[in-house]
Amino acid sequence: MDDADTIQPLNGRPPYETGDAEAFYAHVGTGGKVEADDWMPEEYRAAVLKFVEMHANSELMGVLPERDWIMRAPTLRRKLALTSKIQDEVGHAQLLYRVAEDLGKPRAAMLQDLLDGRTKFHNVFHYPTRSWADVGIIAWLVDAAAIVSQQALRDSSYAPYARTMKKICWEESVHIMHGRDVVLTMMNGTDAQRAMVQEALDRWWGPLMQMHGPPTDPAKDKDLHWGIKAKNNEQLRQEFLSIYVPRILELGLRIPDPNLRYDEASGRWEYTEPDWAELKSVVTGHGPASQSRLQFRRDSYADTQWVRDTLLGPADAAVA
Amino acid sequence: MSTNERIWEVFRQEDEGDPMVHAGNVNAPDEELAMHYAREFYGRRGESHRLWIVARDAVTELDDPDLLKPPFDRSHKKPGGYIIKHKLEAAKQRAASEAGE
Repeated sequence: MDDADTIQPLNGRPPYETGDAEAFYAHVGTGGKVEADDWMPEEYRAAVLKFVEMHANSELMGVLPERDWIMRAPTLRRKLALTSKIQDEVGHAQLLYRVAEDLGKPRAAMLQDLLDGRTKFHNVFHYPTRSWADVGIIAWLVDAAAIVSQQALRDSSYAPYARTMKKICWEESVHIMHGRDVVLTMMNGTDAQRAMVQEALDRWWGPLMQMHGPPTDPAKDKDLHWGIKAKNNEQLRQEFLSIYVPRILELGLRIPDPNLRYDEASGRWEYTEPDWAELKSVVTGHGPASQSRLQFRRDSYADTQWVRDTLLGPADAAVA
Repeated sequence: MSTNERIWEVFRQEDEGDPMVHAGNVNAPDEELAMHYAREFYGRRGESHRLWIVARDAVTELDDPDLLKPPFDRSHKKPGGYIIKHKLEAAKQRAASEAGE
C-alpha cells in the first residue's frame, strides 16, 4: 500500500476519550500534552497542582531575602536591577498561581495554606542573608540551580505550565547575568570583597546541593512518568554542577566540599552526601529564617486585606 | 455589513502544547457558523491541533506606547544589559596568577 493511502493521526499519538485514564497516561507518557480545559484523571490534576503550587509559593517567598537589600544596594543601577528582579519573581508567583487556580484550588486557599505552614516552599528561601555578596550568590547560583529544573519543565505534559516556564526562564536568564555581574564586580574589587563572596558561597553551598532534593527512584516517581517534569533530582544536580563548578572555580573561589570531583569513568560528579535531614527540617518550617519569613508574609497579607476587600467585595460597595 | 454579521478572530494551535497564535478572522452571524468557517479556513488540511474563535468585540486592545514602550532605560531588565566579558577576563587572570604564586 502506498503511503498516500494511509490515514495517519495528526501527531502520531492516538487520541484519548474522556474518562479513559489508561489512554490518558499512554498519551502523556509518550510526550502528549494536556490543556486546562481537557479532561484529566483526578490524581494527575492533583499532582500537577501540588507541583505548581509549591513552585508558586517558592517564587513568592523567594523575594524576601532579596527584599532586605533593596535599600542597601551600592548603586542606583544595582537598586534598579534588584527591584526589577523582585518584581519579576512576584510576577512569576502570579503567573504560577493562575496556572494552579485553573486546576481547581482558589488562590486565597493557596495563600492561607502557605501562611499556615501546610504547604512548602524551596529550602534556599528559609535562610537569612548576611551581606551584599549574598545578593550576588543568590541571583547567580540559586537562580542557576532553579533554571536547570525550570528549563526541563518547559517540556512538561501540562501545557499551560510548560508555556509559562518559557517566559519565566527568559526572565531568569537576566537574573543570572545580574548575579554573575555582582559577583564578578566584587571578585575584581578588594580582598575584603573577595572574602565576602567566599564567605557567602561557603554558607550557600550546602543548601544549593540540597535544593534539587535527594535522589529518588525514577521507577516510582509519578511526576516523571506522567511527564509533569522531565528530569529527576540527581540529573538536575549533575547538570547544575557540570555548568557551574567550572564557572565558580575560574574566579578563584573555593567550593567547600573536599570530596567534590568529576569522575571521568562514570561521567558524573561525586560529592559529599548533602545533609538530607537538614533539608527535611528546613522545608517543614524549621529553617533559621522560616518563621520570620512566614510572619512577614502574614503581616503583609493582613495589611493588604483592604485591597482584596475593595476589589473582590460586592460591586456596589465601592460606590456607597 | 449587515446587522446579523459579526467578526470573529481565530487563533490556532499548530501542535499539542503550542501557544495559541492569531491566524486571521472570519465573518459569520453566529458562533456555530464562525466555528465552521474557522475550521474550513484554518484546519482543513489538518494543520491545526485546536482553534479558538473569539468575537472581535470581546477583545480588549492595549497599544499605548507610553505604557508599553516608555522612554526609560530598561537595559537592566535584559541579558544584554550586563557586559561581563572584560570583568570575567580580569577575574580569571587574577585567579590564575594567584594560583601560580
